[in-house]
Amino acid sequence: MTAQITVTEGGLPHNTLMIYGLVGSLVLVYLTYLNTVTGTQLFSFFGGLGAIAALIWGSDTIKRLCSYGIGTGVPSAGLLAFGSGVIAMLLATRFGIASPIVALVLGFVIGAILGYIANNILAMKIPVMIQSIAELGAVGAMVMIGFSAMATGSFTFDALSAVPVTVLGATVNSFESSLIGGSLLAAIFMLGGIALQHGFNACLGPSEQQDRTLMLTAEVGFLSMIMVAIFSYVYLDLFAVLVSIVVSVIGWYYTYDQYIALSKRDAAAWLDSKPIVEPEGH
Amino acid sequence: MSALGAKPAAAGDIDPISSVIGIVLAVVFVAIVAVLAPVALMPLLGIILGGVLIGFGVHFVPVGGAPAAMGQAPGIATGVAMLAAGAGLAGLFGGAWAAELGVVVATVTGAVGGGLLMAITCMMVNIIYVFGMGIPSASGKVAKDPITGDTQPEFKSQGTEGHGLPFISFVGGVVGGLFGGAGGTLIYLMLLEVYEHYLPGIFDATAAQIMPVAVSLAGIFAIGMFLVNAVLAAYNITGTIEGPHDPKFKRFPRAIIASLVASALCGLVAIMIVVVNLNI
Amino acid sequence: MVENIVLGIGITALAGALAAVAGAAEDTESDIGSQGDPNSQVQLAPQMGFIHRIFNKAVSGEPPAYGLWCALGAGIAWVFLIKDVNPVLALILGATIATFVQGVYATSGYLGRTASLAKFGQPVYIDILKSMLSVTMAHAFVAVFTTITICYLMNAVLGHPFPLPLLGIVWGIALGAAGSATGNPFYGKERQYQNQQFGAGVPISASGNIVRYAEAGQRNSLDNGWFSSKLGGPASGICFGLIVFLELWRTVLFEHIAAGWGAIIVGFAIILVFVVIDRWIETYARKTYGPYAAPEEANL
Repeated sequence: MTAQITVTEGGLPHNTLMIYGLVGSLVLVYLTYLNTVTGTQLFSFFGGLGAIAALIWGSDTIKRLCSYGIGTGVPSAGLLAFGSGVIAMLLATRFGIASPIVALVLGFVIGAILGYIANNILAMKIPVMIQSIAELGAVGAMVMIGFSAMATGSFTFDALSAVPVTVLGATVNSFESSLIGGSLLAAIFMLGGIALQHGFNACLGPSEQQDRTLMLTAEVGFLSMIMVAIFSYVYLDLFAVLVSIVVSVIGWYYTYDQYIALSKRDAAAWLDSKPIVEPEGH
Repeated sequence: MSALGAKPAAAGDIDPISSVIGIVLAVVFVAIVAVLAPVALMPLLGIILGGVLIGFGVHFVPVGGAPAAMGQAPGIATGVAMLAAGAGLAGLFGGAWAAELGVVVATVTGAVGGGLLMAITCMMVNIIYVFGMGIPSASGKVAKDPITGDTQPEFKSQGTEGHGLPFISFVGGVVGGLFGGAGGTLIYLMLLEVYEHYLPGIFDATAAQIMPVAVSLAGIFAIGMFLVNAVLAAYNITGTIEGPHDPKFKRFPRAIIASLVASALCGLVAIMIVVVNLNI
Repeated sequence: MVENIVLGIGITALAGALAAVAGAAEDTESDIGSQGDPNSQVQLAPQMGFIHRIFNKAVSGEPPAYGLWCALGAGIAWVFLIKDVNPVLALILGATIATFVQGVYATSGYLGRTASLAKFGQPVYIDILKSMLSVTMAHAFVAVFTTITICYLMNAVLGHPFPLPLLGIVWGIALGAAGSATGNPFYGKERQYQNQQFGAGVPISASGNIVRYAEAGQRNSLDNGWFSSKLGGPASGICFGLIVFLELWRTVLFEHIAAGWGAIIVGFAIILVFVVIDRWIETYARKTYGPYAAPEEANL
């Protein structure tokens, strides 16, 4: 016998959040293109912000999907999202400037087919299954491309798999130190996959509140962003790395502080070194 | 993996219409590869076989989820997708190491790696149950162990559905590990072959130079596709299963169709990465 | 060639020993945090009217969580290695930063789950957070550091083709799978339900009635870590240690025999040995402990 997953009503409607997340992540990931326009690397951190926008949207999708009881844990949905998202995202990076849009569309398509498989072939018969898995595929792809863009300053396949290095005056491509060649993408995969499901998984319960859940998702998103900023130390100049770290640390501190305040608001009581409070009738 | 939402067990029937649609989709995906990149056709079929092996293998792995942690239900006390992933990825580790020895040797090596992890893990589960908690193994789904013929109900403690890993579950775990390890390795090897063929042309570099990118891409995709297949199979058995003797095991045909379609799709996309060349 | 094999054996033994430490630390960490499947009971207890002072650290299951900590630790270590930092320092930095992330996840998991239980009157005990957190983080550091060190040895010394972060994800998930499979029942049944009969599973009707009081005072998760580090932790360590050691051992020693088939045959032989041991354990328990009820009564 285990506790049931219950989902509370209220808060922003899912479709509104989806539009915000979709447009927000797309615009923010595209803002990293300012790097190319201005010839600097300072705008890389926008990729991380785009990933956070996608994570917040995905967190709400997971809540909607898991309220139906999918038979296995909440984290599996996050990993399914990223398993399909990473495939969509890597193909999308071959499309140059169109990469983020292609990632979004491809994530939707792959997710929709996987959702169809789960819902119809595996007969799960959950009304929101196809839409939710499609959204999660798109979220997975957007988070991966956002964090990759933040780490390397670019979202094209060439930039992700080869790093130009100068050896004895000649410029050659170094493959083993690139984001893909060094498998740093695997670390980004897990960072995103856990961050996506953590918001709802950590806050589920009868007194779950949407603002607290989404604040937590933003918090782990910024935490992941700090890590990606450390990754970017390999690819970006020190000043750009510092900008990324400062932005993500400020964002993380603010959201973490807000999250603790919201937990304090929702908790039954906030006690320090107090004994067990036995409920009435026990 | 706590607080699982329970769902009533559905019948294991195959939905004919959606299955046919799925298989048609899979054939279309294979046809696209056959037209655009004939070299990658055999690897794609290998990827599909690998995915099917994973989806099928998950059904053997005895996983009890949360109730198993309290000795309320038989099986291993963790999530099915993740346990299968642990075994499959350990197999992938061995298989990738043996990659230069050829597809057959590497795949079997991967299978043994997955089986070894499951054998050790299942044995330690029984050691904890028997020597740590004094609880003998008992299945909740069958009256007699199909392999050893041991009777089960009288070893089930009161108020539980059984506990521990009866021999059939142990064997199921090892078989599941073998399938998972083989499937994960097969996906990796096939993708590696495709990338080694195409990447030098894309980057105008030698095969040795692009090796890190080929290995990493194939490795990340193998993990991603493993997770997709394992989670889909976990959905099929609604999270828990006792092993090959569990009635839920009979649902495996539809998981095979699901894995087939999902692997064809993921394989197609993974191959397209090196085939499309838009030069934007 | 001989030197290579001798070096390989040495690294194999070292990796096996590190893995044993990693498994033991991993299981103890997750039991103190009440992570994974036993957490369902910590979550359920307030609903059944049992308010408790147990750390409820909901960060997904152990395999994906350790997949993240180890991939992250390995990724950061890789970043510093590319920047020509000394490997030992790089691994320590990687493990430290990954542990920081683990700590933040742990706090948010406890606050989130507990605040969402407000309906049943479960308060947030902020001192639980303060006193348990450092202990889980310390155990997590040991687990992550040893695991990414194993990964580094596999990659740099034994020459595995996977880069460090990919090895981190593979062995992190394997570590979590081994630790949760072995350690969870011991914590979930034997410790949480110490008030139930020994030698029997927890009746489903008793769900949620976890032990909340200690020998003196009230039980918290440090008491649970103390308990499970006596058996569940070491057993998980043996489990993961055996997995890493035997996997490397059979490859390093036998891979070159019969074009790779040597390692396969040895692997199958090892699996058979474990099958026999397991069967012996099962029959031992059946004979020694005996049935709970006579066979004909059992079906009632």
